[in-house]
Amino acid sequence: MAYPYVSDREVRILSKHFGDPAARTLEGALANGRYEALKKALEMDRGAVIEEVKTSGLRGRGGAGFPTGVKWSFMPKDSGKPHYLCCNADESEPGTFKDREIIRWDPHQLIEGCLIASYAIGAEHCYIYCRGEFFEASSILAKAVEDAYQAGYVGKDILGSGVNVDITVHIGAGAYICGEETGLMNSLEGRRGQPRVKPPFPAAAGLFGMPTTVNNVETLAAVPHIVEHGGEWYRQWGTEKSPGTKLFCVSGHVNRPGNYELPLGFPLKDLIHDVCGGIRDGNALKAVIPGGSSVPILSAEESEECALCYEGVIAAGSMLGCASVIVMDETTDMVKQVRRMAYFYQHESCGQCTPCREGSAWVTKILRRIEDGRGKEEDLETLVEVTTQMTGTTICVLSDSVAAPVQSSIEKFRDEYLALIRRGERVGAA
Amino acid sequence: MVTLTIDGQEVTVPRGTTLLKAAESVGTKVPHYCYHDGLSSPAMCRLCLVEVEGAPKLQPSCVTQAQDGQVVHTGSPNAEAMRRGVLEFYLVNHPLDCPICDQSGECKLQDFVHAEGREHGRSREPKRVFGRDDFGGDVLFYGDRCVMCTRCVRFMNEVEQDPRLTVVERGNRSVIDTFFERGLDGTNWSGNIVDICPVGALVSKDFLYKQRAWDLDHTPSICPSCSQGCNIDLHTRDNLVQRLKPRTNLEVNAHWMCDHGRHNYEFMNRGDRIEAPLVKEGDRHTEVGWKEALSTMLDRAREVGGTVRAVASPFSCNEDLAALKAVVEALGGGEIVYRLARAEEEIPLKGMPTLARRRDLAPNGTGADALGLERVGDDDGTGGLETVSSHDGVVLVLGDALQDQAADFAGGASLFVYLGTHASEAVQGGDFILPVTTFAEQEGTFTNRVGRVQRFWPGLQAPGAARPAWLVLGAVASELTEAEPANTAAEAFSRWVASNEPFAGLDYASLGTRGASMNEPVSAAGD
Amino acid sequence: MSDTPFKNPGFAGNTGEFDLTEDQVRGRDFVPSRPLEGGHPSGTASYPYMLPEKHPDAPLFEGAYQERFEKLLTRYPDRRAALLPTLALAQEVRGHVSPETMDEVGKLLELPDAYVRGVATFYTMYNKAPVGRYLVQVCTNISCNLCGADEVLAAFLRATDTEMGETSADGNFTIVEAECLAACGFPTCVQINSRYYENVTPRDVPGLLERLREKGE
Repeated sequence: MAYPYVSDREVRILSKHFGDPAARTLEGALANGRYEALKKALEMDRGAVIEEVKTSGLRGRGGAGFPTGVKWSFMPKDSGKPHYLCCNADESEPGTFKDREIIRWDPHQLIEGCLIASYAIGAEHCYIYCRGEFFEASSILAKAVEDAYQAGYVGKDILGSGVNVDITVHIGAGAYICGEETGLMNSLEGRRGQPRVKPPFPAAAGLFGMPTTVNNVETLAAVPHIVEHGGEWYRQWGTEKSPGTKLFCVSGHVNRPGNYELPLGFPLKDLIHDVCGGIRDGNALKAVIPGGSSVPILSAEESEECALCYEGVIAAGSMLGCASVIVMDETTDMVKQVRRMAYFYQHESCGQCTPCREGSAWVTKILRRIEDGRGKEEDLETLVEVTTQMTGTTICVLSDSVAAPVQSSIEKFRDEYLALIRRGERVGAA
Repeated sequence: MVTLTIDGQEVTVPRGTTLLKAAESVGTKVPHYCYHDGLSSPAMCRLCLVEVEGAPKLQPSCVTQAQDGQVVHTGSPNAEAMRRGVLEFYLVNHPLDCPICDQSGECKLQDFVHAEGREHGRSREPKRVFGRDDFGGDVLFYGDRCVMCTRCVRFMNEVEQDPRLTVVERGNRSVIDTFFERGLDGTNWSGNIVDICPVGALVSKDFLYKQRAWDLDHTPSICPSCSQGCNIDLHTRDNLVQRLKPRTNLEVNAHWMCDHGRHNYEFMNRGDRIEAPLVKEGDRHTEVGWKEALSTMLDRAREVGGTVRAVASPFSCNEDLAALKAVVEALGGGEIVYRLARAEEEIPLKGMPTLARRRDLAPNGTGADALGLERVGDDDGTGGLETVSSHDGVVLVLGDALQDQAADFAGGASLFVYLGTHASEAVQGGDFILPVTTFAEQEGTFTNRVGRVQRFWPGLQAPGAARPAWLVLGAVASELTEAEPANTAAEAFSRWVASNEPFAGLDYASLGTRGASMNEPVSAAGD
Repeated sequence: MSDTPFKNPGFAGNTGEFDLTEDQVRGRDFVPSRPLEGGHPSGTASYPYMLPEKHPDAPLFEGAYQERFEKLLTRYPDRRAALLPTLALAQEVRGHVSPETMDEVGKLLELPDAYVRGVATFYTMYNKAPVGRYLVQVCTNISCNLCGADEVLAAFLRATDTEMGETSADGNFTIVEAECLAACGFPTCVQINSRYYENVTPRDVPGLLERLREKGE
């Protein structure tokens, strides 16, 4: 059996060679058709490459879902300055584990994507910002980049085209916030990884003050396929607003957790019960987080009709984020898990903005108190109000991310909170 | 120029103006911590959020630039609710130790919470504790009170450009610190971080527990410690200067002053003052009233005649020096010298090329030069008085306490008059010892090194019978020449201006609180 | 529990269903070992490892490490940008980033000492204090937590007889809690020095520690 789990309902484009150790070698990659799209792109006009990506409707896979082609078109044409491409491989949204798989199984796919994107935006240097914990993955990537350098796919005058693109594999050092694009740029510049105030936007003044585009690993990995087969080809999957395929990272209480590449718009119900083999131990579903810990929790009921595309998940009351589906069965202690998520944001808050710095810690303390049976019913209202105060008042959206699990869980699983509070009150009274 | 509407008021401001400054121009103060006029804007305190019509979120007014046609509401329910929320976050871990906090009374957290905050914070959780840290120099850090505005870090990075401070750790464990035990020792401008700290996180060791801020009177003044002429406020209580604080003047010192000047104020509080006019009779001095002292002195002066040799002080104001010059001329003329200590080097403020602790360690050397006074002596402010000491005519000394001179100073003079604040061995030989006020006790002007004339006001009451030198000397000159004496400092100033072509046209009203440069009279009061 | 035979060699594929070896999953057949001097400059910045043997007084830098340091400087337009990889390199050599290390790195890169401290403390991967030969980071974030990460963490603490963050008496293990390691599909994920151990259960813990003690990997 191939590794890892696969499903016949998948459309394996990016993940086609997951589980094939040969795919990471240059020979294997070439046999798999890697760098064909690069050749094609280099013969195209830069603008035409951007147009093709625009046509495909590819949306950023890092979480925000901004159309990639449009993002590229923000880059100035004749700025006379060096441009940079940053590949965001600082994968750290809880529930997300797709970029590491792309990097370690098919690194040349990513490298090719980086090269095409760099060409399209006029960047001569691409930094791949790998999270520091990815020692193995970044080693594989570094080796693949070195192979690509030696074969003339990276570096000066790529394939005789006159185009120069250098790639540097850079490592982070343990900070979730460096996955935010401006935090990533600060970190790459050797600073504290605090997000920057926008404007100026990265396309105007980004890395080292130069025009910069930041794209997620999965986004860039999809680019060669789009260039090779055309934007329209990519649109055969997915929905009008969410074209293409997406890697869904399923974790939690399912029988077969893992990465599954599915067309966007795939029913969440089918993902859990069919693709992933259902809930472990035959338990009932309690809740699903459809897009990583920063999005609202869906109740089992809400998840029933949810289609996994950007607009579909919004309609269901959450967000697709980076399509990290965290499945929770009936045994889940919701308050504990929400507290754990809040603690994560407290731990990872960069500390610049007051609402986030103070709020995330405060929320965690309240949740801990409730969990320990020392809560009061009015704490729930405080939690909702405090997280509201944290929403929309900060430089980046980490602060808003605290609100998502807290508010949605209080709305949908209020009884669990109340049960803990009542039990605590009884114990206290006794 | 762009025109926008702020709180229903239309305002036109230059392109690039921030909403915060635009609002200020129509009299609306948007609360803020991280923003400071003299520093970059990180927009991280999130307190200056305002509502801009059409924008999806509230905008930080400190970095959002005014646009044509923009409609801004600083006090809309949404903006106020969010600011109230943000203020509540500030109090989650703030210790509320106002009763023992030096900043109390001038604390922006108190002010803003009082103005816009909730009546009661809702946090019941235990507070984070960082404790107290000695940053070295004059600076103490109370981490618990810190609001993480990073003004201090940015001051050290951008203005002093000696990046000793940093934010350590992240999230709610963030705290300001130096590089472990390597503190702020050896920095020369770090006192400013205490000023710009909006709360009581950074406090002055010198001022620690000394006074409550609300008990202090503030008097606009000029720093007397060098020739830069930094605008300052004297903070006084109980007729003592308690501390000096810089007063904003973008053309001289912006918002800053050096540590040397900041801590050089105790001399203004010296108690061993000459408090009454003294007349020498035999080898003893007798206290007399002003009238008697001056008339006796005038009699003596008329009687002895002869040329005059005078010693002035660069700590004396323009008015005093002009009056001294007038007296010397009325007595028949003579030379006036002054001595000025000179530091080995300047202490520049890297982020502001026009500001430095200058080598000339007195405020009014330029004013003395403008009157034609001659600088003598060594760089430590001593020596150079041989010709005065040996003079056989009239010797006048104003302000220079002659600390380095021997007891027989001017022993051969026909008349030796000393006007000063303190006595010394050499002064004891004076036929008349007349008490005058310090700059902190009188009105006057200094002329800084680039010829900017700046006013100061009295913040202390003069001890005993001490009077401004311009008043004393003005009375003497008037007796000698039968001209009208100056009755006010303003009049005394106008006499100085009259005898100083480069300063023609200046008067007190036009100087205002910001001063004016020679031949550049300002049209209206600067403040 | 300790008599349960050790099953999990620490990679996600070892469930008996897959026919890949650990080396194939980890890519060790592809990248067997990396040259000390950093190989191709494009990948030099990604090299720093957490090694079991730590030399707190090792110089910054000499020999192959100096070569690696100089190589990574060539990849950035200014020296500041090399700060993170340089701190990591220093940690690889010394095992942790002490105040002295921050100071020295600052001098190497012409950065103020306080600045380096500010940056070093922002990131969790720089050990500000010495750690054991093996730094065991147990992810307890949501996906792992749902699958029993707290028990795995407890098992590590019990097996090493330490408190969180403390180094075991034999100097081998320091157990800490980690935030999401991006291996959520293979809970519980434990990072030990440079390597991920996935699908770790409390039952695996004693054997895993034994393997580390014996084989040193």
